[in-house]
Amino acid sequence: MDSKEVILLKKALERQKKARQQAERILEEKSKELYDASLHLKQTNKVLENLLDQKTAQIDNVFVNIIDPYLIMDLKGNIIKMNSAAEEFLGFSKEENIKLTELIHPDYKEYSKASFKSLYTTGLIKKFRPGIITKNNELKFIEVNGSLIKDKKGNISGAQGVFRDITAELEMKNLLNTQRQRLDIIVEHSPLGIWLTSKDTLIKVNNTMQKMLGYTEEELRSINPMEITSLESLNASKEYREKLIKGEIDEFSVVKKYLRKDGSSFSAKTTVSAVRNIKGELRYEVALIEDITHEIELEEEKKQLVKDLESSNKGLQEYAHIVSHDLKSPLRSISALTTWMYEDYKDKLDDNGVYNLKMMQDKVESMDKLIDGILKYSTIKSDNLDNSIVDVNEVVQEIKDIIFIPDHVTVKTANKLPTIYADRTKIHQLIQNFLSNAVVHIEREKGLVEVGCEDRGTHWEFSVKDNGVGIPKEYHEKIFKIFQSIGNKERSTGIGLSIVKKIIDLYEGKVWLQSEIGKGTTFFFTLKKQNENTTSN
Amino acid sequence: MLNVLFIEDDAIETMKLNRTVSKLQLKHKITEAKNGEEGLEFLKSDEVLPDIILLDLNMPKMSGIEFLEILKADPVLKYLPTIVLTTSENRADLLECYRIGIAGYVIKPLKYEDYEKKLESVFTYWQNNELVKA
Repeated sequence: MDSKEVILLKKALERQKKARQQAERILEEKSKELYDASLHLKQTNKVLENLLDQKTAQIDNVFVNIIDPYLIMDLKGNIIKMNSAAEEFLGFSKEENIKLTELIHPDYKEYSKASFKSLYTTGLIKKFRPGIITKNNELKFIEVNGSLIKDKKGNISGAQGVFRDITAELEMKNLLNTQRQRLDIIVEHSPLGIWLTSKDTLIKVNNTMQKMLGYTEEELRSINPMEITSLESLNASKEYREKLIKGEIDEFSVVKKYLRKDGSSFSAKTTVSAVRNIKGELRYEVALIEDITHEIELEEEKKQLVKDLESSNKGLQEYAHIVSHDLKSPLRSISALTTWMYEDYKDKLDDNGVYNLKMMQDKVESMDKLIDGILKYSTIKSDNLDNSIVDVNEVVQEIKDIIFIPDHVTVKTANKLPTIYADRTKIHQLIQNFLSNAVVHIEREKGLVEVGCEDRGTHWEFSVKDNGVGIPKEYHEKIFKIFQSIGNKERSTGIGLSIVKKIIDLYEGKVWLQSEIGKGTTFFFTLKKQNENTTSN
Repeated sequence: MLNVLFIEDDAIETMKLNRTVSKLQLKHKITEAKNGEEGLEFLKSDEVLPDIILLDLNMPKMSGIEFLEILKADPVLKYLPTIVLTTSENRADLLECYRIGIAGYVIKPLKYEDYEKKLESVFTYWQNNELVKA
């Protein structure tokens, strides 16, 4: 071998050596990388394992800590796992090997079957609400939400579910329903129209209101208020409604005019009340509508009747005055002519003629008294009582001064008479009638008439006592009737005591008498004490 | 002596007054009118106005109250003292008369003797009064 060759070979060997060295270095680097990678993988794995452990522990915790009852069952419905809440609720422990399907109340079996079927097909069960019987034999209602459980291969192995006790909730709901039904019955059967709105939106209107207006609830929902009431009525309640909204008032009442679907109308008392929330804001307005057309008509009728009565009363009084005037005028003429007959011809008349003329005068006089009596009787009415403070002692004195009292008769007061609130003229008329009756019917030597009075609480009880001839019992009732005169004296017209009776009636009193023939008579009468503050009697 | 306008529709009432005046020998001049219209006619005529008027209320045609209203609306005649002489005890009439304006309200009594006495006192009273005189 030549040296050139040797050199070449040497060089080639050198190159190979270098190449091998390089390859070894690369291999070394790669091994290092591989080692690092393997190390990293190991670490990651470790972390993952830890994580998994953690998660498993967490799930176990969740299972234990679910507050709502939770259970897992197999395909046959056997409970294989449940939390303490479920145990507590059902009353069974999981060791008792309970079949869930057996706990379901018979009424809910069909419903349950359908629900489970749906669970198997969809994989989910939602808001399943069966009634179940617990170990204590209590019927409970639950709401179940659940899903199917599948194993690694995807086969269905069972189902799990969370449930909630809704017994109380259902009871509450039923109670509410019952109460609502009852309330509805009241509302619908109310004789008042009821109208509930919230912010001008109709919430409810009862049957009565619908019937009153002739519209259905649906129609009323979309109707313009102007179509069922007049502008005038709307304006009438506007001011009140503003106050109601502002919270200044909680209720108001107005009489409104409503228009029916058929175009007719009616008046109704409308009471609107506010229903507010805690903050005092207006939530609802409840309107109660009472048809008062009939009442208004009655009221009108009543007013008209009173008016008619007043005018007819006035007419009658007017008439009484005219009749009395027209009867009294000719009496005056007859009286005058009779007097002149006597004055001018007394020389030519014999005793009989004079007597007859005197009789004529007497008759004319008694007729005049009768006419006066009728007029007085017909004008005694409560509406012309003019009550004031009257001292009865004064009245008796006045009467003593004007009436004819025979010399043998004394009139005195038994005790001090009261001061009463009454119509002075009527009291005068009243006592005068008793006194003038009493004084003329005394035949004994010393006549005595006594006026007395007792306070009987609500009434004054007056008495007029005489020692006269007395009145037979059979006349005691009769004498108070008009035109009944029992006296045999020419002067009594019989109207006096009926006037008395009428005045006593006006003062809600009574009149009666005690009498003994030959001993005397006592008339009693009561007058109700009048309240000075009231203007009418 | 008084110049009296006597407004009265009833003949016997007129006789009563005349008889009273002559019986009491009073020298008053009595002018009779049968109702309010006649009375007004006389007052509007050229005759001397009366010193007083005695006026009945219930009369046909023009009643006493209607007469009184016309009289009191007249600027001159309203000064004439008018005494109502009536049978009417109706309080409404009495109040209405005083409202319009009267000098007296005398109720005719039933008996003629009482009538004489009342009329005598009425005449005496007005004789003692100072009157406007036409």
